[in-house]
Amino acid sequence: MSELIVDKPAAEQPTVAVMNQVPQSGPRAESPLHHADLPTIARKGPQQGGVYLEELKLLGHLVLRGSTDNQAFMAGAEKVLGVALPGSLQSAEKGELSVRWLAPDEWLVIVPGARAFDLERELRAAMSGHYAIVNVSGGQTVLSLSGPKARDVLMKTTPYDVHDRNFPVGKVVTSVFAKTQAVIRRTGEQSWELVIRRSFADYAWLWLQDASAEYGLVVRS
Amino acid sequence: MTQKNRLKTGGRIERGKPMKFSYNGRSYQGFEGDTLAAALLANGVDIVGRSFKYSRPRGIVAAGAEEPNAVLQLGATEATQVPNVRATQQELFDGLVAHATNGWPNAELDLMSYVGKVGGRMMPPGFYYKTFMYPQSLWETYEKFIRKAAGLGRSPLENDPDTYDHLNQHADVMIVGGGPAGLAAALQAARSGARVILADEQQEFGGALLHSKEQIDGRPATEWVTKVVEELRGYDNVLLLPRSTVNGYHDHNFLTIHERRTDHIADKAPANISRQRMHRVRAKWVVLATGAHERPLVFGNNDVPGCMLASAVSTYINRYAVVPGNELVLMTTNDHAYHCALDWANAGRKVVAIVDTRANPDGELVQRAKQQGLKVITGSAVIEVQGSKRVSGVSVAPISADGSRVTGSVERLSCDTVASSGGWSPAVHLSCHTGSRPEWRDDIIGFVPGKTVQKQLTAGALNGSYSLQACLEEGTKAGIDAAANAGFGDSAADVKAPQANAHREGKAMPLFHVPHTKPTSRAPKQFVDYQNDVTAAGIELATREGFESIEHVKRYTAMGFGTDQGKLGNINGMAIAAKSLNQTIPETGTTIFRPNYTPITFGAIAGRHCGELFDPKRYTPMHKWHLEQGAKFEDVGLWKRPWYFPKAGESMQEALNRECRATRESVGILDASTLGKIDIQGKDAREFLGRVYSNAWAKLAVGKCRYGLMCGEDGMVFDDGVTSCLAENHFIMTTTTGGAARVLEWLELYHQTEWPELEVYFNTVTDQWATMTISGPNSRKLLSELTDDIDLDRDTFKFMDWREGTVAGVPARVFRISFTGELSFEINVQANYGLHVWEKLFEQGEKYNITPYGTETMHILRAEKGFIIAGQDTDGSVHPYDLGMGWCVSNQKPFSFIGKRGMAREDCVKPNRKQLVGLKTKDPQKVIPEGSQAVNDPQQPLPMTMLGHVTSSYYSACLGHSIAMGFVRGGHDRMGETVYYPQADGSVIEAEICSPIFLDPKGERQNV
Repeated sequence: MSELIVDKPAAEQPTVAVMNQVPQSGPRAESPLHHADLPTIARKGPQQGGVYLEELKLLGHLVLRGSTDNQAFMAGAEKVLGVALPGSLQSAEKGELSVRWLAPDEWLVIVPGARAFDLERELRAAMSGHYAIVNVSGGQTVLSLSGPKARDVLMKTTPYDVHDRNFPVGKVVTSVFAKTQAVIRRTGEQSWELVIRRSFADYAWLWLQDASAEYGLVVRS
Repeated sequence: MTQKNRLKTGGRIERGKPMKFSYNGRSYQGFEGDTLAAALLANGVDIVGRSFKYSRPRGIVAAGAEEPNAVLQLGATEATQVPNVRATQQELFDGLVAHATNGWPNAELDLMSYVGKVGGRMMPPGFYYKTFMYPQSLWETYEKFIRKAAGLGRSPLENDPDTYDHLNQHADVMIVGGGPAGLAAALQAARSGARVILADEQQEFGGALLHSKEQIDGRPATEWVTKVVEELRGYDNVLLLPRSTVNGYHDHNFLTIHERRTDHIADKAPANISRQRMHRVRAKWVVLATGAHERPLVFGNNDVPGCMLASAVSTYINRYAVVPGNELVLMTTNDHAYHCALDWANAGRKVVAIVDTRANPDGELVQRAKQQGLKVITGSAVIEVQGSKRVSGVSVAPISADGSRVTGSVERLSCDTVASSGGWSPAVHLSCHTGSRPEWRDDIIGFVPGKTVQKQLTAGALNGSYSLQACLEEGTKAGIDAAANAGFGDSAADVKAPQANAHREGKAMPLFHVPHTKPTSRAPKQFVDYQNDVTAAGIELATREGFESIEHVKRYTAMGFGTDQGKLGNINGMAIAAKSLNQTIPETGTTIFRPNYTPITFGAIAGRHCGELFDPKRYTPMHKWHLEQGAKFEDVGLWKRPWYFPKAGESMQEALNRECRATRESVGILDASTLGKIDIQGKDAREFLGRVYSNAWAKLAVGKCRYGLMCGEDGMVFDDGVTSCLAENHFIMTTTTGGAARVLEWLELYHQTEWPELEVYFNTVTDQWATMTISGPNSRKLLSELTDDIDLDRDTFKFMDWREGTVAGVPARVFRISFTGELSFEINVQANYGLHVWEKLFEQGEKYNITPYGTETMHILRAEKGFIIAGQDTDGSVHPYDLGMGWCVSNQKPFSFIGKRGMAREDCVKPNRKQLVGLKTKDPQKVIPEGSQAVNDPQQPLPMTMLGHVTSSYYSACLGHSIAMGFVRGGHDRMGETVYYPQADGSVIEAEICSPIFLDPKGERQNV
């Protein structure tokens, strides 16, 4: 289940320790907002409102680091992901896979939870040169924020300009989020995804709950 | 009460919507559309407070933000008390409750007046300096008395039931002020397609047009306002913010707007709506159209209720259908103020006289007044007012052409209202917030905005362009230009501004301070700043006493110190100071205008960043378990870490003793998830580690862990932790909980600026791993029951090794490292599985009495072993040798490391530095308070020679005595000697210097 894998010819010492962090079966996984019991709120809470919130939990998160000048890295990523690594402030999507640009040498790939380990191995097999891949699936979570008032909630939360003209669908920004930070991506006219760090998830949830109160918050799960 | 001053018709009020309110405990009625001030005047309320120093009755002077007197306390309940509300800006609502704030105990029946008159003599200018500086011990007594009497209001004693929030806004064009210039600008900017925000402090847009009788494009001006606002509402690129004061204009076109969302509805906001909102606006271009404030004239007894601004009188008549008196005397230096007398006469009340300070006024309005039969007395001034609680008459006298002296005999006129106008002062406040100094213009007798580095345009009365036509033209142009500058529309477009009627106006006279037959110092008080009772005589005294800079005059007299920030009086004060110093007004200059423009509630500043949301709280994956076990928590950075886990009836020390013993005797468990963790990949990762740590990393094999010290350039320790080699090009670094972000930034800083050629990437994985440390002689047995794929043999899986395997069914990395000195395993699993593994450890560990411990027991256990905590036993002035950790410095590395040169500096290698040692108290039960200072001779007279302080100190249950670590000068060479720790209570604790390793000095326990 877990193994040291080799991203160089088998005879050589492995240079990076890649680990499947997800057990096959049995042990229960708890997302960063597990304690908030969103499924119960979703069931018992309001079904109508201006803001919809859902935790897209237990997904696989891989951070890719590499230079855009490293052809083997860029090409390897495109080959394995099926989409090219997006440019500044952009995102790309293919099926259940999405890629967010985070910084000039940094991307976040999000896939279904069970896929992260295989994807990392495939990426490493397809890449060479100086690059890094880090599995951060346990360290963060995705919140889907949508509805006619979702943008107003973001305006309360981030100083970044989330107006249509400045923040079209597909754009990604890592910015101040209340007193923490988030990777903010616009996924539709009225829908956004936020990547929040695990230890800050409770704060983000409390904040969003509060900021949505005047518009009516609907929790989904 | 009847509204005796209310006109039958006219005004922008809803006579069909009466509203009850109370003022000082009495009930009154006003109408929807009134401000509180308008409603008070409608009901004939003359006195709204008592003055600060002299306790003189004061009435409403103005109709807007510049009001100095009608600053009231609002609130129907204790929890909804709001101080500092200007009645001129507070909209009336049904059920409003207001009280005068100054005039203790009562604005009308004033006991203070007796004291106050003494107080006045007691408080000449410079009072604060002369009296309050000595004796300082009495300041608190003075302050309470003066604050209570000074009318600053009071804060509620109960929690505010309302919420406040912030909204981040962005605009291509931000327009401040919704008068004719602002509206014209907004219209053009909006049509260009730019994103526009228009903010105005009033409930309606229109500014001065709301009380004007002017026409635009041949129709009443208010119709134009309605039409423009209607059009603006239709644009989805326009945000209209009425009831929103732009209170601050900061660098980079960042503006803060204070919106009052529900203050006009009720005492308390409706559910789920914030009462007030702070808009934080970032604008590409800003158009300031903030208008101008009328300047009153400074004359004898000009503070008697009934003395008002000429334009305010017009506003009350035309906008609110309130005539604030019966018999008016108007004193003016200009044509514009004739509107006031004309409006008064049109309202059917008596204009006693218009006293014009100019010898030959001849403008259109002057002619109109004369045609209407109003008495105009030229070349004269109102030199003094009679009356105490209300104006009863005035003294009028001819004055010289330069306004410096009275030239003839004094005539008395009977009246109850004195309106005055000394011209207009552009509201340059915002334009000055960003550091721009205003410039004086003789032609308009006022300061206008000076040069700015902001992307800012100005329009209308702010520029000293007082005619309506000029306002419309400048606004139109500013709107087009601002939008074009921001990339919208066509700046060359030929757009015709709306047309207003032109009036021929005569030249105004520059007069600020009206002369009296007596010298200023002996004349009746001539008030400059009503709120702080600053008089013309006071300013002259200040200059005589040598305060020549206007900033010094301000501080000496307290002019402009009030909540009105001197909007009404400052320019007059500067003019008086200038005259007294025999210099020009521009030579004298203004004081600095600072945010906020009008007072703002603390609620609006805090927004939602209060209570539970004040600061983020970071939680580990096992937090819920800790809560259920009744853990006490400690804040470490933003983290909530279990501090200790008391059982029922246990004291803290008892809990710690139990946790420590259980760990040393069987097995304890610590949630160490908060430790910073940094994933390091790249072929130069090892080299990089060698450069940022003081010790060597070249030979650390895969599967091994090593402790490292990180120093700054100065050689001083700033963080420490264990870094493990996961694979040849792959390491995981741990940092202190509080230092995680700083260490990552440090690594990035050095990588990006000093060694970009090194191929290495750093990523934070602090939140990725749940980390639980099992520690104690039974930890291996416990772990063996939960894993079948890790060989735990003591010789195969050695101390400072790590292994990958499965723990409780979850893939894990297990590090055999120890911060307790016991056999110890640090289990890391993906955070999503943290609680599962944690609970399994408790299930299996029950038979070993597995005991959870928190940070305090962790501190004790490590102190027993003499392990330092960076940040507790270090303070940025301590290098590794000071800590006795020279073993952790490698000077053999081919490439230098950060701090190597720093710790070799002369001062760092001198003998007798403060060095970390262990401390054993003579009385084994005595715990030296942390921070205690060591001395050699407790009998030495003060100040004693201090040798260093105690950094860590605990009672060790396992050892049966107290233990401590601390710095002692030259301590490493003083083993066995005694030092003394004098305490605040006079006692002295005696301690022997010893090795900081109190337990198991050979380190055998961790190697079992």
